[in-house]
Amino acid sequence: MPLLSILIAIPFLGALIVALLPKKRPELVLPVGLGVSIAPLAVAVWLTAEFAVGDPSFQFGELFVISDVFGVSWRLGVDGISLFMVGLTALLFPIAIAASRSVTDRAKTYMALMLILEGAVFGVFLALDLLVFFAFFEIVLIPMYLLIRIWGSGNRVYASIKFVLFTAVGSAFLLAGIIALGILAGDTAGSLSAFDLPNVLAVELSETTQLWLFLAFGIAFAIKIPLFPFHTWLPDAHTEAPTAGSVILAGVLLKLGTYGLLRFNLTLFPDAAVDLAPYIAALGVVGIVYGAAAAIVQPDIKRLVAYSSVSHMGFIVLGTFAFTTQALQGSVFTMISHGLTTGALFLLIGMIYDRTHTRAIADYGGLAKVMPVYAGIFLFSAFASAGLPGLSGFIGEFTVLIGSYMTLPVLAIVAGSGVILAAIYLLWAYERMFMGPVNSKIEGLKDLGFRELAIMIPLIVLILGLGVYPKPVMERIEPSVNVILDRIESATEFDVPEYGREPAPTIEIDHSDDGHSDEEGDH
Amino acid sequence: MANGSLLAVGFEVVLLVGALVVLLVAVVAERRRQVWGPVVGITFLLAAAVGLWQWMTVQDGGGGLFFSMSDLAILRSPMVVMDGFSAFAAMVLGLVGFVAFLGSWDLQARLGKRAVEFSALMLLGVAGLHMMAGTPNLVVIFIGLETASIAFYVLAGFTRTVKGSDEAAFKYFLLGSLASALFLYGVALTFASTGSLTIYGADSIRNFFNLELVTEPGILLVGMGLMLVGLMFKISAAPFHQWAPDVYQGAPSGAVGLMAAGVKVAGFAAIGRIFVAGFISQIDAWAPIVATIAAISMVVGTVMALVQTDIKRLLAYSGVAHAGYLLTTIVAGADGLPPMWFYVGTYAFMIVGAFTVVSVVNGPGSADSSLDSFKGLARRNPEMAWLMAILMLGMSGMPFFAGFVGKAFAFVTVADAGYLWLVVLGTLTTVIGLAFYLKVVSTMFTDAERVEPVEASMPARFAVVIASVVTLVFGVVPWPLLDVVANAFPF
Repeated sequence: MPLLSILIAIPFLGALIVALLPKKRPELVLPVGLGVSIAPLAVAVWLTAEFAVGDPSFQFGELFVISDVFGVSWRLGVDGISLFMVGLTALLFPIAIAASRSVTDRAKTYMALMLILEGAVFGVFLALDLLVFFAFFEIVLIPMYLLIRIWGSGNRVYASIKFVLFTAVGSAFLLAGIIALGILAGDTAGSLSAFDLPNVLAVELSETTQLWLFLAFGIAFAIKIPLFPFHTWLPDAHTEAPTAGSVILAGVLLKLGTYGLLRFNLTLFPDAAVDLAPYIAALGVVGIVYGAAAAIVQPDIKRLVAYSSVSHMGFIVLGTFAFTTQALQGSVFTMISHGLTTGALFLLIGMIYDRTHTRAIADYGGLAKVMPVYAGIFLFSAFASAGLPGLSGFIGEFTVLIGSYMTLPVLAIVAGSGVILAAIYLLWAYERMFMGPVNSKIEGLKDLGFRELAIMIPLIVLILGLGVYPKPVMERIEPSVNVILDRIESATEFDVPEYGREPAPTIEIDHSDDGHSDEEGDH
Repeated sequence: MANGSLLAVGFEVVLLVGALVVLLVAVVAERRRQVWGPVVGITFLLAAAVGLWQWMTVQDGGGGLFFSMSDLAILRSPMVVMDGFSAFAAMVLGLVGFVAFLGSWDLQARLGKRAVEFSALMLLGVAGLHMMAGTPNLVVIFIGLETASIAFYVLAGFTRTVKGSDEAAFKYFLLGSLASALFLYGVALTFASTGSLTIYGADSIRNFFNLELVTEPGILLVGMGLMLVGLMFKISAAPFHQWAPDVYQGAPSGAVGLMAAGVKVAGFAAIGRIFVAGFISQIDAWAPIVATIAAISMVVGTVMALVQTDIKRLLAYSGVAHAGYLLTTIVAGADGLPPMWFYVGTYAFMIVGAFTVVSVVNGPGSADSSLDSFKGLARRNPEMAWLMAILMLGMSGMPFFAGFVGKAFAFVTVADAGYLWLVVLGTLTTVIGLAFYLKVVSTMFTDAERVEPVEASMPARFAVVIASVVTLVFGVVPWPLLDVVANAFPF
């Protein structure tokens, strides 16, 4: 059964169904939309369960050639990296949709756009033909643009167009790069499609070509991540987007960039990746510190969380370019964890915003007395985001730091400050919003209801679960990131430090295996 | 190959007969458009069907060269050619004419008695357009060009009482005549240097290049250059585009769609026929010039469209940019023809649809079309707003819309031909272009004080729906059309 094609098709069909719902029955939109978005979650859970642990190749593969004229193939596949990106997407969309009850204006359109967005994101994570990947990567912009433009708050016109133009400029280079790569590949190999990933992987590129193509691909992904200094679209877009939009933007869409770097930049252009790694990792670390510092001074809680995303994404970039198993594993894990924790924070901010219609931290105070359950969940999510041991944020960032210390020690040390800064901005914000005397504006607010709790519980369970027992995730990621590292090692003179890689039956490696389990098990 | 095959000129014959029938029927039926209207629509569809018939005949190996002074002379200097190239143009022009006719329905309702002349001119204009695509003879291309141009000069000025329409028609006439004159001068100089007016046949320009030495390269270059400039005027490529925004703005919205779409299709057919089929051996001489014009068009069209506050001017400048993207395919030579056809074929529908929406929102005869009039369209007429959004995204080159497939196909081909800088420039201007296409979308979702609903007539709705469906379907499943255009080669 073409499971992956079905996964992509479900949301698109769902969007069609939602669009065809009778106008007179607006109350049907939310349940139908939610139902449609839960189906991919079931598929994703099935994929995760059936996924062969330890097999580094792409699984559940599908391939057929769409056109000889144009050289495009429909190649889909899942490896340990995209598996969890798909899972994260499948999880966050139903949650974001469930949290969209306050959207009553043009609800049908809203739901259809959400579902189109979901289908497009699946397409990005599953497509292994570069042109198809690009098509999905680019089309993601349009539903997101409309979600911010139509249902956003205050400054939505500016924020939405800024979001599109920033990302689209990157896409322009990406498309030019993909076409150039496809042309180069087409000349050497006579494969099914010039843009097929195995085909372009087989091309021998000179170092200069690699550098240019790396930059063309890299700038698109760097803007999407967003890597400092391309981050300025992010606070605007996140702040003005409706709650569900922010959740998806931070939870899923930012990962398109880091996923692209991992999947394409590292494997397709290993020479250039090794040459540029210290600089890009340094930009990531600048992002960590800058994002955190900017978050501290934000008067708007949603903007604060937006800047914290810049900081967290910096960890992912650092880990990606440290070229060790742990660092790469940590990167992928942080992608998942950031999706869960930041998603949770945006949802919580949305819930309080629905009640008070203000996002200014100064308008709150003493919220813990008024809404104790809400305060507890907020604190939990804040701790998870700041990387408290036992919660998912810690595993990801700690693994990144351990892994990158081996190859980029100075940067890793500086990056470590990000964890402390995260605690500062999150806890200080918590103190101002939840502690102290009760602000008169927020007296008598109702605590979270059953529906809102039901939305939060899956996230809380996963944050805690992954924090305590990350092995199921880590063991699926490991073979796939090792493939990337092997490729880098074989194509360049770079030696990946052996610490913690594939356990082998010798005493020394046994020792390193201990170290490996240490950082996973001891916290 | 026979002198008498009517199928080769079937498209033109159907349209001319249709035009005559309509004029006669209207004498009897007078103002009742319900009577003669369907005749026009059926004529366009019939013409498209003839195009399909020609296509199938050609695919069975039945095309060739037709019509000359005598049966024997066909091989030496034919007047008509029926090949995949001309048959594809026939199908596109017939259908675009049909959609444009539906889109002009509201305008015709306003024109009253004169509407029948309007329809007849549309039919004649489209016949002229196809003549440009279906002949190997440079003079016949010129005749087709003039037939279409004169029909469109009149259409542009049809609402002569409306301020701006007069001016538009006159401007179009003056600059269009200049372009035609330049083209004709180019034809003359080409004849002077090669001794031939035809692209195929024993006496053809191609054979001249194969057999003889070019003794007067200067005259040949000037001849090619003037023909190129003449055609660049018609397709509104920068820097020969200045007439387009004024004419589009002033002419009645219901008529602009056909002018914009049809001339692009036929103009590129002529460019493809003359330069790619005829002067392919001189590609090193003309390709850099075409590449430069393409680059200027992409940049000028995109940048100027950004600052427009009038939707028709915006679409005119976007048309300049699209001329640029289309010209990049010409640079790639014969390989560029399939992407050119895919691009111009789908773009023609998008632009007709877009002008139909403008005509619905602002009134069909009106010359006022500020972007502000689109404010709140998402509430005043959600259907039109969403269809317009599809058309705008299609033009902007978003994936899963036909515009993307066209652009990607073009860019891949152009990069393969070694013009990577054009591709980089093209992708960048595409992104900048996104800004003004989204400005239109954004305006439609801006709430306005004016809340009265916008009414769209059935034919107009139908026209916009067809255009949007073409945009979406060939964006998601472009493969059938890609297979077709892969065979739409000149003889």
